[in-house]
Amino acid sequence: MMPRPLVRIAAMANKEMRHILRDPQMLAFALVMPVGLLLLFGVAVSFDIEHIPMVVVDQDHSQSSRKLADSFTVSNTFNVVAHRGDPDDAEPLFRSGAARVALVIPRGYEASVLHGPEAVAQLLIDGADNTSASVALGYANAVALSSSQRAFVELLGDATPPLEARPRTFFNPELRSAVFLVPGLMVMVLVMVAVMLTALTVAREYERGSMEQLFATPVGRLEIILGKLGPYFAIGQVQVLMVLTLGVWVFDVPMRGSVALVFLVASVFLFAMLMQGLFISVVTRNQMLAGQIAAVSTFLPALLLSGFIFPVESMPWVLQVIARILPARYLVRALRAVMLRGADFETVLPDIGAMFLFFVFLLVVATKRFKRTVA
Amino acid sequence: MTAPGFAMEARDLRRSFGSERAVDGVTFGVRAGELYGLVGPDGAGKTTTVRMLVGLMAPDGGEVRLEAAGGAKAGSEAAREAVGYMPQQFSLYGDLSVGENLQFFGQLFGLTKTQRQERETRLLDVTRLGPFRDRRADALSGGMYKKLALACALLHHPKVLLLDEPTNGVDPVSRRELWDLLYEFVSEGMAVLLATPYMDEASRCHRVGLMHRGRLIAEDAPAALVRSFPHPALLLHATDRDGLERRLAGRPDVMALSPQGASLRVVVRASGQADFRAWFAAQVPDGTMEVVAPDFEDVFLGLSSAPREVAP
Repeated sequence: MMPRPLVRIAAMANKEMRHILRDPQMLAFALVMPVGLLLLFGVAVSFDIEHIPMVVVDQDHSQSSRKLADSFTVSNTFNVVAHRGDPDDAEPLFRSGAARVALVIPRGYEASVLHGPEAVAQLLIDGADNTSASVALGYANAVALSSSQRAFVELLGDATPPLEARPRTFFNPELRSAVFLVPGLMVMVLVMVAVMLTALTVAREYERGSMEQLFATPVGRLEIILGKLGPYFAIGQVQVLMVLTLGVWVFDVPMRGSVALVFLVASVFLFAMLMQGLFISVVTRNQMLAGQIAAVSTFLPALLLSGFIFPVESMPWVLQVIARILPARYLVRALRAVMLRGADFETVLPDIGAMFLFFVFLLVVATKRFKRTVA
Repeated sequence: MTAPGFAMEARDLRRSFGSERAVDGVTFGVRAGELYGLVGPDGAGKTTTVRMLVGLMAPDGGEVRLEAAGGAKAGSEAAREAVGYMPQQFSLYGDLSVGENLQFFGQLFGLTKTQRQERETRLLDVTRLGPFRDRRADALSGGMYKKLALACALLHHPKVLLLDEPTNGVDPVSRRELWDLLYEFVSEGMAVLLATPYMDEASRCHRVGLMHRGRLIAEDAPAALVRSFPHPALLLHATDRDGLERRLAGRPDVMALSPQGASLRVVVRASGQADFRAWFAAQVPDGTMEVVAPDFEDVFLGLSSAPREVAP
């Protein structure tokens, strides 16, 4: 015979599961949304910059000028969309957005290259799109550097440069966005469902009057909270499985660490988020308000303060402090560590600990704020 | 001053909402095997009182003791085990079936599976909800729903049962069935408190407490209240009934006034009876007057018109 508190928790969980299974909209929201989000972010959102439209204004028409232009077009980064003879003719293309970058090689370029003192070519960049602008800038610097190097080598004969950077990118050598995004996407999927659904569940009992009946029975407040956590935790686990499966097989995200560890990390995060939802529900006692607070308090932090897209380290200190409290950042960091770098339990223990603290804190506060009264 | 045998006792309960005193010093007790009616119009403070008895609302002052649970305070764990509660409004799970609601509450009260099945079968039988076991609670009629709520409140065999307007929105047949059930439980020794605005229901209780504006203005067996009521009830008849009603409405010696068929039923203050008769004979020459035995409704209306002046 189970101890009575356990029987009551199981009864709450069982009842809650029945509510979920009888609400097809809620179930669809919980199970279809992760797939949709993953496909949306995985396919449509890409930070891989390719095919930046470029216009070439070659006024030198020399071998050197052609070589310079070619060095921009050998990779997929730039696409030459037009050739113009005069820089002024390039401007309309810029204004219309047909080109984002213009390479202007003035007359006498080759002569300067061969005889000095200084060869000048101009790269005009459309700064309105700062991502492609910074990529173009970096690329231009690299081209200038390697061309100069080649010139030195030709001048000095068989010499090797004293210093050479040979970077090697670990864990995501092609720097593909999907590899970076999918672990972060787990945050979006889990917060939306975990917090949204649980934020409604206690408030619903107040609004429908069932709390009045529930509080007249021996069930304890902690038992109500734990019983309500159960079924949503199960749904969350299904979502983790879905995101991982899609991520690994559709988007080729590597799984270098232990799958069990990934589930452990995700589970602790889930508990923290479910608790956040229940806390909101207990405090508001109103489904409408709870839903709004849940949306604001989860979606934005998960998107902006988790390191999912923007690195936390470069944020103002106030935001960094908030990010340090919220579990989202720890999940993203731990998932990337385990999936991409094959990190072990000890490496992600601080992240797990931080998320667990958040859970325990909210559990205590929510249970305390959860009064056995109806008015 | 604790009378022996009270299963539940409220002492000087008070509760305000803002500046409004919803319950203003209510003291009473319910004995085992007794059906106690808390009677009063809407807004008298009945629901607030019941909620404080269950522990769902903290009183500003006073206390509730459950002798049936070893003197436990309202809302404590021991008290919740001993008390069954049926709220006034919809409070079960509409998307769960009759059987699932019973199962859920049975589990919360820690019943074993055998106990649960036994009691469920019996309760479904006495409430005649058996054929609707698989129907969702929100698809039940008002009467069936109330019977299910009663069944859920009875599952753990409470020693004290609190019912807040249990027959509200229930058809006469179901109402009768509910009452038969109540009498049965009371005869088995349960202490039952029933809050109701209906005088006919009140008159069927063993004892009633009349509630008016947050106070208990009288308490006794319904028949005793009628017997000891000193003021006469009169049936007045006049050709211009509505005109007569208007003329009576402002008189301080008229304690209650209500149309009854073509006549007017009034309760007249005993001390002013002679003056009233004289006035009526002089002012309403075409009128007739008949003295009738006061009924429970006369008593309630009379008492609540000027509670302080009629207090003993």
